[in-house]
Amino acid sequence: MTREQGIGTLALAVWTALVVLFLLLPLFVIVAFSFNDSDFPSFPMRGLTLKWYWRFLESDELLAALWNSTLVAFATMVLATTFGTLAAIGLARSGARTQKFMRPLLSTPMMTPRLVVGIALLNMFNLLSMQLSLLTVIVGHTVVAVPYVILVVSARLVGLDPRIEEAAADLGATRTRVLIDILLPLLRPAVLGSALIAFTLSFDEVVVTFFTTGTENTLPTTIWAMLRYGITPEINAVSTLTMIATVALALGAEVMIRSGGVHRR
Amino acid sequence: MRTGRSSIVPLLTPATAWFGLFFALPIAAMLVVSFWVVANYQLVPTFTLTNYTKLAQPLYLSIIVRTFAIATIVTILAALVGYPVAYYLARRLKRLRVFVLTLIVLPLWTSYLVRSFAWMLVLGTSGAFNWFLQGIGVTDQPVRWFLYTEFAVIIALVHIYLPFFILPVFAVLDKLDDRLLEASSDLGASPWTSFWTVTLPLSRPGISTGCLLVFIPAAGSYVSPELLGGPSVLMIGSVIAQQFGLVFEYAFGSALALTLMTGILIVALGLLRIGKVQGLK
Repeated sequence: MTREQGIGTLALAVWTALVVLFLLLPLFVIVAFSFNDSDFPSFPMRGLTLKWYWRFLESDELLAALWNSTLVAFATMVLATTFGTLAAIGLARSGARTQKFMRPLLSTPMMTPRLVVGIALLNMFNLLSMQLSLLTVIVGHTVVAVPYVILVVSARLVGLDPRIEEAAADLGATRTRVLIDILLPLLRPAVLGSALIAFTLSFDEVVVTFFTTGTENTLPTTIWAMLRYGITPEINAVSTLTMIATVALALGAEVMIRSGGVHRR
Repeated sequence: MRTGRSSIVPLLTPATAWFGLFFALPIAAMLVVSFWVVANYQLVPTFTLTNYTKLAQPLYLSIIVRTFAIATIVTILAALVGYPVAYYLARRLKRLRVFVLTLIVLPLWTSYLVRSFAWMLVLGTSGAFNWFLQGIGVTDQPVRWFLYTEFAVIIALVHIYLPFFILPVFAVLDKLDDRLLEASSDLGASPWTSFWTVTLPLSRPGISTGCLLVFIPAAGSYVSPELLGGPSVLMIGSVIAQQFGLVFEYAFGSALALTLMTGILIVALGLLRIGKVQGLK
């Protein structure tokens, strides 16, 4: 490497470090303030306290929201993972023409602003005079999550050797058996990974929830409502807890998806 | 493969049916409703273009222009900030690559609500940024224009969607054939010339995908401008939400939403066109 290139690489490294700081620092501010012993989040910080976390654990409203969020995220995860995995397998087995048509079509919800997904559903439920509830929230979240599952599972399917399936079929396995005994075990890392993605996506979603929910609130819509009245320290504690939960799930998903390298060609 | 068409249909059915019922149908319903009117808080079926002609009013026109201007600025900033990072990760960094990539992806796993809220804490008059600036003596009074301005909205949107630009560009640069650069250098090109004539043109598919993934959510954003923009930085998302929330103007709101989607579609098709690398393969 020439001296000029060395300087270039150094400049790029410094820039990258700054960008990573830019991405992470605002999140650290939330974590720091969640332990700040002051009613108003302002610098410089005062002493350390855990009282905002206790306040969260004592709030029936927030705990109910946490329960609702978990319920919705779990249902979304089951639905989206099932639909998405089946669709990904179906796409992989269909011809180039079908794929060229269906793949973009099945990814359109990902390319649509969440706000539009939410209000379009609200408008339709209103036309049909349907009662809004956590069920309608699950419907909306599943629409948002399915394309991500298809994307992740499809990536894994590309790496699979089609001869494994052929061999199973040649040995007399029916299509259902090939799916259950051969394909799903091979796809397991990607399926579990995408399930965690669907869960976090739903757990964090605020706009779609806001427009499709009835009287129930999830954790994000509760935070959203609280922010309308100003920043309170409890929001920092709740945000920190949700961040820790989703990041833990995310790292789990990463490990799952990456651990799938064994059967690659 | 021995699997025939008959086995594909049931596999694709659940997802397709779900999207048909809960995505395509609602969008179609929105299109229909956008030609209706609202009277006494009730939707009245009719056929009128008033919801669309209303968009030409200076108030709404300026909001639409501001929305697309902000989304464009955010996309350009994300590209300028993100490209060097993607380049460094793909072409220079070896050992720590996975670690740094994980750090960049990590914020994506926290909700965009929390990330918008974080900037309220950073940019406020008693926020981290002002505290720092006062600490090093740049200013003795807290700077007020950090929050509730376009500046706040733009910086937060870049923060939220930047990883979406870095990842696709990284993917393309990572797969770039080293032999092309060797050939370029063997033929006497300086590293700088090689970058402009080989690397950058070949990263176009990644750049266009990245721009798309930033522009779409930025143009349709609602949470960040609501929290950080204040009343003076109204974006189309907030106006749409108002129609479906407080004022019950579903017909006009539908027209607004479809305008937003049409605008996004035009930009997306343009970006996809730019992203096609010609004369290769």
